[in-house]
Amino acid sequence: MTDTAALAKEREQLFRDLFSGKTPKRVPVTNPATLEFAIQYYGEDLAEAQWDLTKAESALDKFCHEFPTDTTPIGSIRPPAYYQLLGSKAIVMGSGGFMQHPEVMGMFPEEYDDFIAAPYDFIIETIMPRLYTELDTDPHKKAMVLAKALQAHLDDYAFIGQMRARVNAKYGLVSPAVALTEAPFDFLADFIRSFKGISSDLRRIPDKVSAACEAVLPLMFKKGKLPNTEMLGYSFLPLHMAPYIRNTDFEKFYWPTFKKLVEALAEAGYNVQLFIEHDWMRYLDFLYELPENTIMRFEYGDPRVVAEKLGKKHIISGFYPITLLQTGTREQCIEKAKELLDIMAPYGKYWFQGDKSIISTDKTGNTAKNLRAVLEYVMENGTY
Amino acid sequence: MDLQLLTKAVGDLDEPKVLGMLKEFAASNPTAEETAAVVSACQKGMTIVGDLFDAKEYFVGDLIFAGELLSSAIAILKPVMGGEETVNTGKIILATVEGDLHDIGKNIFKSMSEAAGFAVYDLGIDTPPNAFVEKIKEVQPQIVGLSGVLTLALDSMKNTVQAINDAGLRNGVKIIIGGNPVTEEACKMIGADAYTTNAAEGVKICQGWVS
Repeated sequence: MTDTAALAKEREQLFRDLFSGKTPKRVPVTNPATLEFAIQYYGEDLAEAQWDLTKAESALDKFCHEFPTDTTPIGSIRPPAYYQLLGSKAIVMGSGGFMQHPEVMGMFPEEYDDFIAAPYDFIIETIMPRLYTELDTDPHKKAMVLAKALQAHLDDYAFIGQMRARVNAKYGLVSPAVALTEAPFDFLADFIRSFKGISSDLRRIPDKVSAACEAVLPLMFKKGKLPNTEMLGYSFLPLHMAPYIRNTDFEKFYWPTFKKLVEALAEAGYNVQLFIEHDWMRYLDFLYELPENTIMRFEYGDPRVVAEKLGKKHIISGFYPITLLQTGTREQCIEKAKELLDIMAPYGKYWFQGDKSIISTDKTGNTAKNLRAVLEYVMENGTY
Repeated sequence: MDLQLLTKAVGDLDEPKVLGMLKEFAASNPTAEETAAVVSACQKGMTIVGDLFDAKEYFVGDLIFAGELLSSAIAILKPVMGGEETVNTGKIILATVEGDLHDIGKNIFKSMSEAAGFAVYDLGIDTPPNAFVEKIKEVQPQIVGLSGVLTLALDSMKNTVQAINDAGLRNGVKIIIGGNPVTEEACKMIGADAYTTNAAEGVKICQGWVS
């Protein structure tokens, strides 16, 4: 076995141990910066390199070489061809080239009953053409649009897969597979009714909101499944709305189907990673109830309190404040990493990740310098 | 019309009650003075909403609904409001900065500052520094609000403040930044006067500046 193959094997074992609740040999490290960051850092134009991913490969290669990490630093890149061919409103490119999800509404409040009766049909027939406007046409043209978009999507992802395989082979990195899904209430907010819409619905038509969450639960389960339970990976749920609603609303609308979803995925043998966006400190007792070894990447909160409440049962990650890399000194940045290791590592299930993803470079260049120093520090000192 | 009851209903975000009371009021052919008192009672109700947000009894979703409620209320009251201009607390130019398309936080801040009597000039999303500069020249606001969710917004905020500086307009305005990635350190780095991740607090800061 070559050195890099052995290294990849060792890294895979780190994550297999971590995900099964066994203390790994050392703290696994994921570089919080994504391919978008690497593209800009190594001087490529972000918009252009996303259209022509061959321009991203040398950036990715250098990035893997210069910034220590255990997992391939690609992140959730969204090549724009697919979205443009579909006429997407749900995912669009900003002027700086970064693909993002603006507030969209795929369904009007008076349509809840139809949605609840047959959510999949309603999504395909009514919501998709609203959010992906090129699908708003006759069936023949729609078939052509879908064929073109899917071809572009498959081409881009095939290239990303090959590029990933090449850097993994060269640097001994691993890429846990990801099946993206959402808590039912989040799915309703993000793509169906909008943040604004759902905030009014839960006061005006609460029973319909609950029924809609139940209706999409089977779809969210299906979407969260990896091809098999043996592969290294996880179902990934970026959690969105809970911090923005009252506790009583959380208990009534968000929690019941979210809990069922995580339990069903765990029961079926999948690891589950939650990206716990914003402030969930008032919901820690709920998070405790989720199946053992749920991976919880935190954006916000008091790491000490989270570790005490959840550290024995669950796999805790995140918390490293990436904006500090831009504004802090090298010493402050390393001190913060040390502080988190001191709090988390004693529980034996800590995974080093950022509180958010780093998607852009900054003018001063501090982010890159400090990021490298922090990654080197955690790689060397990440013992349990 | 029991104004205290109206204020309480707005604070409770009791939409059927608020809209019911206002429709009845509008149908009673009120004077401009009576209408002004009702508008003021609604504004007091919005202050309660802000206080409950500070007390962590309400959250962002409730603020969004409060904005909806206020728009419905104003739609009912407009026909009986009379023609005279309402006195503005001050002028704010507001936008999501360049590169960022997120506007939920900006819109909440907008509806809350309008409820507090500010005239808000909303430049939308993904707004280049130059657009801020031009609008400042045009309307001469006391306050400029920069909003963003993505971390890349921090650099855009810095560029925007720099552009305002370069245009010689910095001394005439207070600048507040808001959104998920802003911190005290980011505020210093950007050169803004204040930062907040809390729209209600942001409105209070702005009120402090113009009082």
